[in-house]
Order: sequence, then C-alpha cells, then structure tokens
Amino acid sequence: MASAEQRRPPSGTGALRLRPPGNRIERKAVWWWIAQAVVMPGSLLAAVSVGYLLWEAARPWLIVAVVVLAVLTSVSLFVEPFWRYAVHRWEVTDEAVYALTGWLVREWRVAPISRIQTVDAVRGPVEQMLGLATLRVTTASSRGPINIGGLDRDVAAAIAERLTAVTQRTPGDAT
Amino acid sequence: MIWVDVVQAVVSLTPAALATGVFGVEASLGSLWPMIAVAAFGTVGAIADALRWAFTRYRVTDAYVERRTGVFVRQYRSVRRDRIRSVDATAKLRHRLAGLRVVTIGAGQQHNAGESAFVLDAILRTDAWRLQEELLRPRAAGSAVPAPSGRPDGSGVGDRVTGTSDGARGTEDAQVFARLRPSWVLYNVFNSWAYIMAIGLLWGGFWLLSTFGVDVGGFLDGLADWEALGWGWTIGIGVLVTGAVGVIGLAVNFFTENWNFELARVSGEDGTQLRTRKGLFTTREVNRDERRMRGLQISEPLLWRWMGMADTNVVTTGLSLWSMSEPTAILPRGPIGVARSVAVDVLGSRPSPFDVPLVRHPAAALRRRLCWATVGGAALVAVVVWLVITDVLPAWTVWLGAAGWPVALLGAVVAYRALGHAVAGPYVVLRSGLISRSTVALQRSAVSTIALRQSLLQRRLGLMTVSAMTAAGWGGYQASDVDAGEAVEFATAAAPGLLEPFLVPNRLSAERS
Repeated sequence: MASAEQRRPPSGTGALRLRPPGNRIERKAVWWWIAQAVVMPGSLLAAVSVGYLLWEAARPWLIVAVVVLAVLTSVSLFVEPFWRYAVHRWEVTDEAVYALTGWLVREWRVAPISRIQTVDAVRGPVEQMLGLATLRVTTASSRGPINIGGLDRDVAAAIAERLTAVTQRTPGDAT
Repeated sequence: MIWVDVVQAVVSLTPAALATGVFGVEASLGSLWPMIAVAAFGTVGAIADALRWAFTRYRVTDAYVERRTGVFVRQYRSVRRDRIRSVDATAKLRHRLAGLRVVTIGAGQQHNAGESAFVLDAILRTDAWRLQEELLRPRAAGSAVPAPSGRPDGSGVGDRVTGTSDGARGTEDAQVFARLRPSWVLYNVFNSWAYIMAIGLLWGGFWLLSTFGVDVGGFLDGLADWEALGWGWTIGIGVLVTGAVGVIGLAVNFFTENWNFELARVSGEDGTQLRTRKGLFTTREVNRDERRMRGLQISEPLLWRWMGMADTNVVTTGLSLWSMSEPTAILPRGPIGVARSVAVDVLGSRPSPFDVPLVRHPAAALRRRLCWATVGGAALVAVVVWLVITDVLPAWTVWLGAAGWPVALLGAVVAYRALGHAVAGPYVVLRSGLISRSTVALQRSAVSTIALRQSLLQRRLGLMTVSAMTAAGWGGYQASDVDAGEAVEFATAAAPGLLEPFLVPNRLSAERS
C-alpha cells in the first residue's frame, strides 16, 4: 500500500494524523462507476441531444443543456471513476469500521463495532455482473450508513458475516 | 411478578348539552346554524365516543402493553414495555372536569414512516398515574421510592420537595429545577405569530359580532375621522392595534399553556426521569427517561439574541422532534440565563458544557463563507439580469438583486461568529447556526460514528468538517470548518477510543518544523 502514503493525509499541523484505511477496493469498481455515469448523466445527455436534433425551434436553449451535460458526462466517465479509485480505502478491525470515500469531497467515516445495528452486503445489477458488492453498515444514527462499494463479492460476504457475529455478541441496544 | 389489569376506557364528555339553549339569540336560521352545527357535531362525537368506548380494551402484561380498538376495522396494537420511552398524560378541559386523562405512550415510533402514537383516550386520572408509574419504573410499584442514584451531584441541586402540590399523587421525591416565572411571557409575545394570531382573533370576533347583528364596520368608522388622517396613519394604527391584539393573545396563550410549569427530576428504581408539567385548562405532563438522554441543546434565534432569548431542548432517543407538542423542550422559551442554570442541573457536569470557552474556528472559515456568499449573490444577480434581458422583470430589480450581496456577506460574518467547538468533561460542545445559533452538548460516549469531510476548497483553505453522529436528537451534529490540523485531535477527543487505532505521528509536520 505504498501509494496510500503518497497522498496528503487529512492533517496539516497537528502532531497526529489519521492514516488512510489499509485496503484498496477492487480495480473492477472503475467499470461500475463508469456504468453509473452512463446511466445517469449519460442517458440524460442522449435524451437532450435527440431533442436538439429533432426540435429546431428550441436549439438556442438546448445547446446550453447539451454542452453542460456533455461536460458533466465526460467528467463522470473519464475522471471521476479513476479519481475515486485512487481515493477509496476501507478497513475493518475488531473495534471499528473505517472507510474513506469521495473525490471532490472526501469523507473519512469511522463507526465502532459496538454501535453497529445492521450489516448488509448489497449487490446491484452492474455489481452482479462484475462480481462486486457494497458493504453497508448502519448505526442507530439517522445520518446515513457507512457504504463501502466495489468490494469483491466473497470478501464483502465474509466481512458481513464476521461483523454480524461480532455485533450479536455485543450487549445493549447500541444507541 | 405478573401484573395484568384490564380497565375499560371511559367516554370523554361532549359539549352537546351545553350548546343548545344557552344563548338567547333570536331563533333565525342564520344566527342559529353555528349552534346547530356544534350540537350536531357534539351528538355525533358522543355517539362515536360511546362506540369507541364499547369496543376498546387495553391490557398491561409483563412484557407488553396492548390495545384493541375499532368498530368496523378492528385494530390491535402492542408495544414492548422495554421499548417505552415516554408516557405522557394530557387532559383537555372536558377531561379534567370528568377526572380523566389522555395517556400517550411513546416508543420511538417513526413519525415519518406513518406510525402513530399509542394513545389511550381517555382513562381515569388515577389509572393514568398508575400506568405512568408502572410503565416507566417497572419494579418500583409498591416499594418505597429510593433517592436518586447514579448522579454525582444528586443532592444539593435544586430544592428537594416531598409530596408536591398534587397531593393525590402520594409521596414522591422530586428535585425541582425550574418553575414558571411570569417575566418569561416577554420572550413569548414578540414574534411574527402575533400578527397571525391577531388576524385570527379579529376575524373570529368580527364574524361572531356579525352573527349577533353588530355593525362592526360602522363602529370602526365612528371611532375616528379616517379620511382626515390619511392612508399612512390609518395603516399605521391598524398595524399597531393588530399587533397589540396579537401580543395580548399570545400572552394569554402563553399563560394558559404554561400555567404551573414545573421542571423536575423524579426518581425511580431504574434511573431518573425529567418531568415537565404545565397547563391551565389542558394539563400536560411529560416524563423523559434520563437513561435515554444524550445531551442538551440551547438555541438562540438571531433576531432576539440581544434580549437573550433561548429555547432549551434535550437531545434524547425516541422523542419526536417534529411533534407540535415539543416533547423535547424542557423549558418554555425564556432567558438564556435560566437555560444555562437549568443545563447545569440537568447535565450534572461541572464545569457546565455551556459555560466553557469555545474554540473559535480559523479565519479561513470566514473566507469560505464570504466566498460562498459572493458566489450566491453573483448567481442571484446573474439570474435577475437574465430575466431583465428577457423582459420578465423590470430593470430596477437588478439593484434589488445586487442588494442581496451585502446581506449575504453579513450573513456569512454572523454564521462565522456562531462557530465554535470544545470538549468539556464527558461532553462535546458544538455551536453553529445563522438564523438560530444553537449550542449542543452531546455525551461523548453517545457518538456512534465520526465523519471527517473535506472538499477541495476546504483542502486549499486548510479546513475540515467534523461530524458526530448519534442515535439521539437530529442524528448528527457537526463542527464545520475546523482547522485541519486540529480536526483529527478534536474528532479523537469527541469519540474516545474510536480513532486512536488509526492515528499515526504526523511525519509531514515533523519534517517541516
């Protein structure tokens, strides 16, 4: 994990810094994000382009939308997946689940295992094809779970099983 | 010990009998139809209540509270007793006349998921109290109530009262933290609701007087020579009078709602509860289990900060923040001084988290806010200019749009000045907010997830946003734009033991110095 050390840590002047999580995600995840980019800004771009070609009266307006969507699509096709792959890291220890996600906005999330409410390994259609899975770890907070996308299917299942076993041993209602 | 009690629900009184014949108005259909409507509503309501009463049963067993109800659609509802987080007893005037209470059992149901509360309407007052005691302190029934335990400063704070004004309640042990002070009314009458209230009152009055045949318009015309005064004065007087009516209305409302307000800690074998009681006609009692409390939040609205207005809410699991009855509010809106002193008593931590000096955020946080205010202002102007060019808006609106920029800059400064964070004993303190500056003290042990966020702009400015997620209150509280160097330390302190395994010495800073 030498490349992990090359990137700037989330700390400037303090004596301690947060090290990035230990594991990278699967290389195949890049395809997963590309597929997502094709679905979301991509299909919208296609629709608007068709509109531009067929509806002449609206061309002065639609050209703006076409250009903006073209830029968005190319960024999320050719920049975002590779940037995300360079950033995303994850780690599950006996005490905590730790994930680093994002590209323009990075987020480091740490949840103690004692506070975990549910653990799921989720697979969407594209992830199914690529043999990937997303590990979703929720706590009692309503402010969103920890999502670790782009894991190998078997790895995610194994972690989910291990975490479920650990959380069942932990007493209390985890609030 | 199995405690099975089957009690029948009792019909609430109806105003049907009252409505007819009391008012000696001429029996024209026009003036009488409201009465007929009221009487009809009352009769229908009485029949419905009678049916509901006949078909409703509830039962408290060892593990569950159960209720069966419904005439045409049978409904069964059960709540596990260890999930019960609050038991409220409320009473409208008609309930009080009949010695009844409405008991609402809160069990952390999700209101946004369409789950309704477990309501028992209406049961005998003594049964309501017994239910409260039984459900909130499972093993205390029948045994002597011990002194509060587990609080380091349990004694010595507040006055200890044995057997409060409500003598029928029997012997009890309560620490009273706050009682209604009449001066608090000042904090509750000067707001925009005054006008809404006044319009409602005036319209109602106008309608009522018209029914009785009073010529309101002519009466107002005769009061002053409006034509001589001119439009400006007329409107001015109108606004003032309406405002005055609204203020008086809100004052009366405040006193009827908060009459005999009392905040106290009552003890049980399984820990303690924070209890508020209030109300003149409609009494309302809320018990909050202190084992579920995770902190306290004091918010100060921007426009009234000069007079030290503050709202005090507990941060707790299982109480709805969206409920109109505000079960998390432990004080009526009042002076910040009272809120702070109550916070000391409630949190029982010294120094009080609300008195510790907060760490200011770096100047870069102000720069980020000014930057976004400028971008927002520019976007607004751009949209307005575009609309002016396309002849949707007149040209002078551009200046109105441009005036938004200094306002946004001012807002940025205010928002920056509100920022602050600290760690005080077992609590982490976070302060932020533009319209309402809210300071929250959250138990460090209640933090269930720590998130650090950094956008590209924040990275350039050397800032980070630290969020502490929790199961209670709003689910998460954040300190925006902490100095990036300090953020990791603060996050580590905010959730003890969570981040330590992932910390390493900062070689970069060592090399630099």
